Formats: sequence, structure tokens, C-alpha cells
Amino acid sequence: MSNAIDNSTNPKRYGRSHEPIAWSLFGAGGMVVAFIIPVLALISGLLMPSWPADSLYQNLLGLTQSWLGKLALLAVISLTLYHCAHRIYHGLHDLHVEANQTLMLVLFYGGATLCSAVCAGVLLII
Amino acid sequence: MSSDSSNANPVNRKPYVQKQSANWWLQNRYYRFYMLREATSVPIFGYALLLIWGLLRLSQGEAAFTDWLALMQHPLMMLFHLLVIAAALLHAYTWFDLTPKILVIRLGDFRVPDRWVKLGHYGGFVVTSAALLCLALLFIKGGA
Repeated sequence: MSNAIDNSTNPKRYGRSHEPIAWSLFGAGGMVVAFIIPVLALISGLLMPSWPADSLYQNLLGLTQSWLGKLALLAVISLTLYHCAHRIYHGLHDLHVEANQTLMLVLFYGGATLCSAVCAGVLLII
Repeated sequence: MSSDSSNANPVNRKPYVQKQSANWWLQNRYYRFYMLREATSVPIFGYALLLIWGLLRLSQGEAAFTDWLALMQHPLMMLFHLLVIAAALLHAYTWFDLTPKILVIRLGDFRVPDRWVKLGHYGGFVVTSAALLCLALLFIKGGA
């Protein structure tokens, strides 16, 4: 088999990078994680479980049934997911976890998208 | 390298690829801290999934939501939330450290000093946290 370079059958192709979109979601998510997640985890994880359950249920239902509440929750949760997926995707590369790049992209960014879609679906029917 | 790599490579050469061991990041404390910073995303990802699950249980009625709340009272869950808070705080510290490098504000010839940008973010953090805590105590806990 010849080793001659034949660009007509094997042109050098430059794919479009996913980085601009991935990085803007990562950056926005980084802001959300820095400003909101510490106090949100304090509220939802450590304080809320000891609050009176019946009024808590009614109030949370009210929050999630308002459009502002739905939008805020979806924004916080989905941007956090994209931020973390981006970091884990690149972190695995740093750890020399060798895998098909397309598979990893689908797994992490696709996974964040799927979880965001589930979150949006739940917020819509609530 | 595979035998047909010369077809994929327009220049027929054998580039030198420097070997890097998989545990390179254990070698000094800067690399270790970098990995720790990246690792904060793992518990936070789990926390986001926990929130989605909580919303799902909320949509299924009061009994389902109370079940979810009871699970959150488990000591391991409390420990997990402490870990999430610690991870998010470490992330915030490193994030505010790097924002002045990205967010360069010029007013004419004057460049707003990095310190001010950083302090502004810390101020925003305190205000946001206090505001969200007050809103939650007033409108989500609200017994009345």
C-alpha cells in the first residue's frame, strides 16, 4: 500500500469546536455554583429537613408553580449540571482516562442536557 | 501508533510525544490543589441530581415529598451536604481568584484593580447568601 499523500480522498478537515458553547455554559455555571450553591445546599440539605413538613410542602409547591420559581430553579440546576459535566469531562482527560472523545462528549454534555430536560419536564407538570 | 497513521497525517513524520504519567498531578501541591478544585464538581453534580429528585418527589404529592425529606435527615445525607457546602465554598474561593483575570474593567485610562473586582464578588456572595437565606426563612419555612 502506498504511503503517498492524497488529499483528494483524505482532505484535512477541521471540525467546529464545541468549546465556545461548552465554556459559556461552564462559565455561567461557575458563577451559579460560587454564588448560590453554598447557601442553597445549607437551606435544602441542613435546614429544610427540620422545618414543619406540611407548610414546607405547600410553600415549595407554591414556589415551583410560579413561573419565576420554575425558571430560577431550572437555571440554577441546569447551569450547575453543565459546569460540573465540563469539569469532569476535562478532569478525566487530565487523569489519562482514555476513551472515545465523541462518546465522552455525548456522555457528559448529553447527560447534563438530559438531566436538565428531566428537570424542565418535572417543573412543567408540577 | 497504528500502521495507517501516515494516511491520516499529511506530513509523513513521527512526532515526539512526551510521556506523562497518569499520576502527574500527585507530584506537587499546586497540581494536587488543581485536582482538588476540579474534583469539587463531583459532589456538586450529585447535589444537582438530588435536587431534581426532590422536585420529582414534590410533584408526586405530599407523602412522596415527606419521604424524600426523611431521607435527607439521614446522617450520611447530612454529611454529604456538608461536603457539598465545603466543595462549593472552595470552588467560590478559587473562582473569585480567577475572575479578575477574565473580567478586566477599564474606565478610560484607569484599570479597575484586581482587588476591587475580587472584593466586589465577595460582597456579592455575602449579599446573595444572606438574601436567599432570609427569603427561605420568610417564605419557604413560614409557618403562617
